[in-house]
Amino acid sequence: MEPILLRARGVPNSRSLETYLSAGGYEGLKKALSMDPDAVTKEVLDSELRGRGGAGFPTGRKWTFVPRDHPGPKYLICNADESEPGTFKDREIIEYDPHLVLEGIAIASYAIRANTAYIYIRGEFVRWAGILEQAIAEARAHGILGRQVMGSDYHLDVWVHRGAGAYICGEETSLIESLEGKRGFPRLKPPFPAVVGVFGKPTVVNNVETLACVPSILTRGAGWFASIGRPRNTGPKLYCVSGHVRRPGVYELPMGVTFREIIEEHCGGIRDGHRLKAFFPGGSSAPVMTPDQLDVKADFDACAEAGSMLGSGGVIVLDDTVDMVEAAANLAHFYAHESCGQCTPCREGSDWAKDILDRILAGHGSPEDPQTLLRICTYASQGMTICPLGDAFALPISSIVKKFPGEFERHIAAATPRPPKKLPVLPWAGPRPGFDGQ
Amino acid sequence: MPRVTIDGVTVEVAAGTNLIEAARLAGVNIPFFCYHPYLSVVGQCRICMVEVEGAPRLAIACATPVTDGMVVRSETSPRVKEARDAVMEFLLANHPLDCPVCDQAGECLLQDHSFTEGRSTTHMVEERRTFPGLERRLIGPHVIQNQNRCIHCSRCIRFTQEISETAALTYKSRGNHAYIDTFDGRPFTDPFSACAADVCPVGALTVREFRFRKRAWKLRSTPSVCPGCSIGCNVWIDHHERTVYRFTPRENPAINATWLCDYGRFLADSLNQAHYLHPLHRVDGQLRKVSWGEAIRALALDLAAARTLRVVAAGTLANETLFLARELFVRHLKGELVVAVHEGEPRRMKNGKGEWLRSRDAHPNSEGARRLGLELVDGDRLARFLFGAADLTIILDPTAHPYLATNEALQLLRVSPTLVLVRTDHPIAEVASWLLPVASLASDEGTFTSSGGHVQRFAPAVAPAGEARPAWQILHLLARGLGVTALDLPSPAAIFTALVAKDKAFAGLAWDDLASKERSSYRERQHVG
Repeated sequence: MEPILLRARGVPNSRSLETYLSAGGYEGLKKALSMDPDAVTKEVLDSELRGRGGAGFPTGRKWTFVPRDHPGPKYLICNADESEPGTFKDREIIEYDPHLVLEGIAIASYAIRANTAYIYIRGEFVRWAGILEQAIAEARAHGILGRQVMGSDYHLDVWVHRGAGAYICGEETSLIESLEGKRGFPRLKPPFPAVVGVFGKPTVVNNVETLACVPSILTRGAGWFASIGRPRNTGPKLYCVSGHVRRPGVYELPMGVTFREIIEEHCGGIRDGHRLKAFFPGGSSAPVMTPDQLDVKADFDACAEAGSMLGSGGVIVLDDTVDMVEAAANLAHFYAHESCGQCTPCREGSDWAKDILDRILAGHGSPEDPQTLLRICTYASQGMTICPLGDAFALPISSIVKKFPGEFERHIAAATPRPPKKLPVLPWAGPRPGFDGQ
Repeated sequence: MPRVTIDGVTVEVAAGTNLIEAARLAGVNIPFFCYHPYLSVVGQCRICMVEVEGAPRLAIACATPVTDGMVVRSETSPRVKEARDAVMEFLLANHPLDCPVCDQAGECLLQDHSFTEGRSTTHMVEERRTFPGLERRLIGPHVIQNQNRCIHCSRCIRFTQEISETAALTYKSRGNHAYIDTFDGRPFTDPFSACAADVCPVGALTVREFRFRKRAWKLRSTPSVCPGCSIGCNVWIDHHERTVYRFTPRENPAINATWLCDYGRFLADSLNQAHYLHPLHRVDGQLRKVSWGEAIRALALDLAAARTLRVVAAGTLANETLFLARELFVRHLKGELVVAVHEGEPRRMKNGKGEWLRSRDAHPNSEGARRLGLELVDGDRLARFLFGAADLTIILDPTAHPYLATNEALQLLRVSPTLVLVRTDHPIAEVASWLLPVASLASDEGTFTSSGGHVQRFAPAVAPAGEARPAWQILHLLARGLGVTALDLPSPAAIFTALVAKDKAFAGLAWDDLASKERSSYRERQHVG
């Protein structure tokens, strides 16, 4: 497949506006500006583009939720807070093709009639924030952004806002809170951001990769986009493969290739002398999959049918050297550290699960531990929490407990009782006058 | 109005009501920790899970508005029971369970719900998370924090953001290690700081002044009105064995919602002061103990003989007392009566609609005095009033105006016989010829008229100290001693009825209607922790 999202990778000086324009850049925006905003939304709706941030919600549908006749400002936010473990696709797009993202932002803003767009970028992405700033400055200087977008009477300002280092701020409502300058706590929904978003105004939050898909939908048509992949799971997709494969990296493939193709063909298979043990199909928040599920198609619906999720497309491959209990503990540490602390099941559950897994690894596991872990995971997911972080920590851990019970049994069989906690004992100084019955 | 069925009980409630309030109307108690009717809904604690028919997932009752025809299951749903069970286990996983030494025990939402649920085991065997250094920390002049007990409901934070508007409290750190701290580490000097401890559903924030003075279950609560200013916040007087331990806010959406300012709240302890336990009469320069009978007989004679009589009433007195004073001293004995008032510190209170009520009037009932047609005087006019001699001067509350404690006032009062109703030490005792011990607000009964025009009744909580009597009773005894049968009104209720009959400003009010509607303070306890 010819690369769409990563077409600039390897092209010299690919970040400059000049290179982007010579490759037919901003044609999509030009076309969009000649259309009615609703027609642009219709085009994206017809392309069946689904959000690439993790949830896979149809992008066009999201845009239609914005009240059309809302008086006052509306906002578009580009979510570049790419913090999911095992995911590094947005960074790749920004690194080679920042103008592709800007063009997507401009088209999306036009479609929802927003005059201000924010790029909320992960705090650690200092370099990529700079790249975006530079691209925005270039675009403004060339009249592509600003007062009159490409000579039309449409006005658009794009701002880059750097996050402060919290995983939770990738969740759209806590991203909005953070953008407003508050603590990154997810909001209760409803109301959804499309109605009450940043600064209380209608807001659409789209992932970088989602927005990067938009320009080609406009230039080549929704039909072309929908022809890639299969119905409801269309378009090119970036798969970030990490872990024990020969050639880890970001691969742009049509949606719906199998995991076998991704891992064995594109990544050159598992490293020498080892066998695949498990893989996370879409970042660490997706339930783990086993080698017998390699032929599952890597798209939203197929992964959901297989009991997992495509998520962000971050494929984490684990070979037979990996202790799955250790992997679970590693995840638990991450989520306990990143839980915002707002709602009870996630705050207490993630920390508790971390403590249990640490204890098992320390050689003091008990036979009830897997059951307790499953109980924690059950009641921290299924809508028991405000945001999906509860599911994000509960589902992978419970999937590991369910799919690899033997590994837990091995640890627990070898366990020794935990030594009793030593409390400080004060020395007995003998009877004191006035006390002890004297 | 939408009709909703909760656990088989159908109720009709106003549109926009959430399921917790609707369930309350249906007689179903849905547990909650982070929800508070006067604070924003955050849905953090997750204990209020209910099953809504037709919805695949459990919903949180606090954030779910009723819709017509909704069918909700709370206690009757096994799924709900399991989910709440799990949430309780999560909440108690790191809670220290130090109820025996926790001052909140007895009025702790977590403890109450734990007992209701009846579960006494946990799967938790790990070492509990603790916050070393935050276990016994005075964060402001009135509030002590024990972060180990905190269940992260954020009520205190929302209180300072939304009600007191100081945003003094905030979360620091993240996840299970998040803790409550003051913004920037400054002292928590919010003028409503003790309310943050009130709204705390557990013992994480407690009030320094009340801590370890009395177990909550020993306290009896009597509805009353705060005497601190003219706003007239509704309070419960919490008392045990003739001692007042504290004020807690009594819900009144029109005035103080469920709040109370620190100034008013900590007046509670002053109600226990009683420095005069017997009527005293000055004979040959020495105060001598007399019985009430003797005192009333002698005073009745003095009053009847007095040709010039002047009375200083106060805005601290109840409508009933002011009415009796007016009828007896002005209408019957043709004396002169003024009400001494003075401007106090500015006070404010936020009502249930989020509007600030403000007052610079230091007295709870100067509006009542105004409505009774009495003359309100400031310090200068009070000085002029007291100038010269009279056959008898009566001071009904010497603490009401600072002028009465000045040397000038004492010199003026020294020259003629003075009767003073007194409870606490006051320089006026040196010059008074009669001192009658008067009961505090906690032992009095009557009504105050707030600056907003609400006539509010307060009930007697404890018996008066020693032989002290409520002011209305002393005036009633004097009226009887004088043989004024029209004023032989033996109870505040009777006086109030006579007042309503006589004064247009009070027309249409009935004593029984003014009583606190709540039979117990539990509803407020639930809200305020």
